[in-house]
Amino acid sequence: MHHQRTASRRGFLLSAAALAVAGSLGLNAGDALAQPAKLVITAIPDDGDADRMRENFGALARHLGKAVGIPVEYMHVENYAASVTALATGRAHVAWLGAVTTAQARMQMGEQLTILGCRDIDKGFVSYFIANPATGLGTVGDLGELAKAAQGKGWSFTFGSKSSTSGHMMPRKFFLDEAGVAPERVFRTVAYSGSHDVVMQMVADGTHQVGALNYASWDKADDALKARAPIVYKTPPYTNYALAARADLGPDLLARLRAALLAVDGSTPEGAQVLKYLKAGKFIEADIGEWQGYVDLLESGIDIGG
Amino acid sequence: MSTLALAASARYERRPLGHFVALLAVLLALLAAFAAADWDWGALTDAERRAQAAARIGAWLAAFARPDLSPDFVRHAWDLTLQTLSAAILGTALAVLLAWPLAMGASRAVCVGDERSAVGGKLVARLWRWLPLRSPAALLCAACRLVQDILRAVPDFVWAIILVALVGLGPLTGALALALNITGILAKVYSELWDSVDPARYGQVRSLGGGRLATFLYGIRPLASRNVLSFTLMRAECAIRNAAVIGAVGGGGLGSEIWYQVRFGAWDKVGTLILFTLLLTLAADLVSNTIRRQLRGDQSRQSGGASCAVAGAGDASRQGRPEGDAVAPPIAVGVSRPPFGPWLATGLVVLALLWSLWFMGWGNRGGEDGAARNHLAPAMELLSGEAWGKLRFFERLLQPELDLAAIGLGDPAKAAARLEQGKAVELFATHGALDFWRPSAWLAWQQALQKWFVWRVVESAAIPLAIAVVGTVLGVAGAILLTYPHSASFQLHAARFSGETPAPWQRALRALQLAAARATAVIARGVPEVMWAFLCIAFFGPGLVAGTLAIALHTLGVLTRVFGEAVDNQPLRRFEPTCGGSRLATYGLVAVPRVWRDWMTYGFFQFESNVRAAVVLGLVGVGGLGFQFSFNFEWFRFERAGTYLLMIVLLTVLIDRGSRLLKLSRVGR
Repeated sequence: MHHQRTASRRGFLLSAAALAVAGSLGLNAGDALAQPAKLVITAIPDDGDADRMRENFGALARHLGKAVGIPVEYMHVENYAASVTALATGRAHVAWLGAVTTAQARMQMGEQLTILGCRDIDKGFVSYFIANPATGLGTVGDLGELAKAAQGKGWSFTFGSKSSTSGHMMPRKFFLDEAGVAPERVFRTVAYSGSHDVVMQMVADGTHQVGALNYASWDKADDALKARAPIVYKTPPYTNYALAARADLGPDLLARLRAALLAVDGSTPEGAQVLKYLKAGKFIEADIGEWQGYVDLLESGIDIGG
Repeated sequence: MSTLALAASARYERRPLGHFVALLAVLLALLAAFAAADWDWGALTDAERRAQAAARIGAWLAAFARPDLSPDFVRHAWDLTLQTLSAAILGTALAVLLAWPLAMGASRAVCVGDERSAVGGKLVARLWRWLPLRSPAALLCAACRLVQDILRAVPDFVWAIILVALVGLGPLTGALALALNITGILAKVYSELWDSVDPARYGQVRSLGGGRLATFLYGIRPLASRNVLSFTLMRAECAIRNAAVIGAVGGGGLGSEIWYQVRFGAWDKVGTLILFTLLLTLAADLVSNTIRRQLRGDQSRQSGGASCAVAGAGDASRQGRPEGDAVAPPIAVGVSRPPFGPWLATGLVVLALLWSLWFMGWGNRGGEDGAARNHLAPAMELLSGEAWGKLRFFERLLQPELDLAAIGLGDPAKAAARLEQGKAVELFATHGALDFWRPSAWLAWQQALQKWFVWRVVESAAIPLAIAVVGTVLGVAGAILLTYPHSASFQLHAARFSGETPAPWQRALRALQLAAARATAVIARGVPEVMWAFLCIAFFGPGLVAGTLAIALHTLGVLTRVFGEAVDNQPLRRFEPTCGGSRLATYGLVAVPRVWRDWMTYGFFQFESNVRAAVVLGLVGVGGLGFQFSFNFEWFRFERAGTYLLMIVLLTVLIDRGSRLLKLSRVGR
């Protein structure tokens, strides 16, 4: 009896040592293969309503977590740069990014960045220019006309977040292309209100006379607000948002995440909630190469107003 | 004539020109502010826009009167309030801990101590005192000052993003960012308050053989402790309000929610949130007043007992340093009543700290599914080398873009290419150096210099400076006027030094005045600057005027409180010399001169803090340095952001050294 107990204790010690060795070996084997115990997903705060984003991206996190068998948690940030920083430094594993933030992450991370997928609507995204009715501005054929109408009126203009694709980068690019002049030279002030819904609100209440935002946020608003901030111009289509991930999650986990994302549909409550919130029919496959144009654009030193 | 009288007359022969120089400097700064930036007063002068602004103010006041009090939203606001409170308390406590050693290093009186100049000559000796390389202690002092300037100058949202790489996302990251920022602020004020104690008052500690540490512990610290405590409590209150940064990296908080709802124009919800913020500010005010009263003790033994007691509380907020217990018993000896006050105050502080630790660690159910999560755990990350390695992500911030090619330095090939493009600075191309008397020459030089990136960075500082100068002057002027009705000494206890016996109706009227003044001040400072900025932008349109008014309003609130405290901290018997004079005369002729230096310290400090606030306000459509910095930072153009950051730090350092040089910070004579 006594010997048996000693033996079992010895066995316990041995196995504990073996476990410890295995554990340290496992750590030494490299982070790339070690699956994290928890996945952190974050998103650029393009909505502005933190609770709405927590609720809906929380649903996406739950869906992904169920599908891959690892708990996934959504962490909300109030700043575009913070979400890119979190992904680039490994504090988040997956991030819902816009095209510009994807390109920024690509420039920071290189091959460490991979794309899980994007929405069906992301490959033909559009921005709207809106104006307060008090300006008397009707629909314009191109942004050159808008620039001409605004010249000398002392109007104030607002973009969304500085790092937003559909709320700043693309509207600015189209403005530069079509009007041949930076908005700073046409409007009295050019402000960055932070998010799309705020742009719409500020144009509607006349704080700013003209603004730019993405079409989905405009469509989502109620009719009373739409009437107070009517569209004056629709931009040509471009590529936008993507669900990006760190490549060091490993091919196996990434494949499972991709499959889980493509499987999002209306059949589960979570899937239905996510698709409704993101105004999408489904998620589709995408490749990082489709955002290379933005990387080139950023690296070309385009005038982004700063 | 005796030698004593000679010495005295020699002392009074030197006219105190410093004040006039300072006033002149303020005037010049005002003129420069109006000249340097594009002031568009249209919002105030144009009748149509004024009417529009008035209509908006009216509409929003109406909305404020009907706050959204639905149970759901009130519960939400309550959760946010708790989150804000815990992060703010934790951040401030941590900041106090970090600020003490840093301030000891940065205070010349503590760190360098009494020094005899090694070189002769009065002027040389004075210059010698400004040379950091004269001794290791002086070098340490300069280094500590630089560290605290950097901590203070970097906007807190930037600290938050940098900390994301270190400890990940969550409310703790926000609290730490807050702590870093407040550390810089507290360390500066502590070191200034310590430096400003007249050396003659603690000379005996030195003459008895006390070293620098003993001089600090037994001489300097007790003498400045009351002001130190006042400022710590005030800063804690500010932290509670400005905890917007917590939301920047996850974790919610009142600040970010207000910010969002204001931009979205949900004024009924803003009303509720402001109500909660004001309640929080008021509660913090009451608690801090209680703590101060408990520590103040009896009037008769206030010079000895109170300062010891304050020292005890200082220790308590640093989580029970052993001396706290060692200091307390001597007070109990020799007084008839055991002093419960200090223990009560200490207990309150410890309780608040324990609660915020518990909330941050276990009580916060703000996350998903209402499950409590330990937000303290990520702090462990700080112990791993890997986390610090991730800071390399921000390495490029330390390599600022100096654009040397534009001024013909650095790589000759690049410089030549820039010259060919016509984008290089050719300073004397059209006007030689001898043309300096022609205004057109200066214009041409300025235009030439604008081709150099660094020059554009320097120019961008004009806007926050202009806003801060005008805003601070307006705010200080308002605060001086408001302090009189705001002071308890003059409104409630005046009979104890003026010799009058006010009638009951007079007493009631004064109490009413006091209440009205306090309410004004609480609202002015209880509403965060950014919130005032958004309100002003909504009323008057984006621009300098809106930013300036926001700064002025907030300054008015903050300064009225500290100005008032400086007056109320004066023992009433000091006002007795004007016995028989009117209260207003006593205020103007005794109280104001007595506290003037304190006021100027706070005023100058507020100016510095306003410069930083104006830098941040650049984000909301005012432009200038802060806008450019955050723009480049958020686009990960860290080299350029680094140059702008350098400028922000430089501004902070210049203002700080300026205030030390002018000795505006001499307090407590």
